[in-house]
Amino acid sequence: MRSRAAVSVGDELPELARVVTREDVKAYADAGGDQNPLHQDDAFARSAGFPGIIAHGMFTMGHMAAAVVAWAGEPDAVLAVSAQFRAPVFMGETIVAGGQVRSIEDRPAIALLETWVRVERDGRTEWPVKKGEARVRLA
Amino acid sequence: MREPDDDEMNPAAEGTTYPAVPFTVEPSRVAAFRALFGISEGVPPTFVTAAEFAAFPQVVADRHLDLDFSRVVHGSQAYAFRRPLREGEELAVRARIESIRIRGGNGFVTIAMDLEDADGVVVCTARSQMIERAAGG
Repeated sequence: MRSRAAVSVGDELPELARVVTREDVKAYADAGGDQNPLHQDDAFARSAGFPGIIAHGMFTMGHMAAAVVAWAGEPDAVLAVSAQFRAPVFMGETIVAGGQVRSIEDRPAIALLETWVRVERDGRTEWPVKKGEARVRLA
Repeated sequence: MREPDDDEMNPAAEGTTYPAVPFTVEPSRVAAFRALFGISEGVPPTFVTAAEFAAFPQVVADRHLDLDFSRVVHGSQAYAFRRPLREGEELAVRARIESIRIRGGNGFVTIAMDLEDADGVVVCTARSQMIERAAGG
């Protein structure tokens, strides 16, 4: 767990980047249980108005939570996570999760984080596809 | 006053509760989550989505609610933990319709789910806001 003494308001989480692939999205569907064809079948996704399949919103949120877990030191320190889903993410795009300490509570020591995921698309950054918050217990 | 619309959710379904659905925190699925998200130990916070998907079918099948899942997009999601989930434990997932709002033909429903352990303690509450897009739009 991260030490209270080592945390200040304004601290930034190390950014966490990954390229979204079909293989990972399929693996996510199997692990998470969301087998919606929007995330597996290009023809279906086109019929829904997208150029191809999109990642599950929860795939991107899972990536955001991974950045929080990495900062917190362990999943058990994460007391709450939330996210607003703002835009779809397509295959081959790079998603970058980040965050910042917005405030700190004492007794018990808890950091409130503002979090986000931005996407690198066609060489430019669209920001953000997700905005969220997290509460993390500190030691 | 607008006319009731068969294409929309039924606002009177707000407050509906559903029977508990059992969910096992299956170690192999937890391991798949950890591998996908590069987390080395414990249960990743968003693994709770797997429990939600165990309880969604009865919400989708609820004709009183009349939610057309083919028009649904995920608006927001929140998880609050009293304690972390433990691998291998059996939980009961209790779903309820917390709120329904219809605006401009779009329906906004918040589905809350409590994950209860064997002692009846709610270890996590999940809230999903789903948006049912206007039909034909």
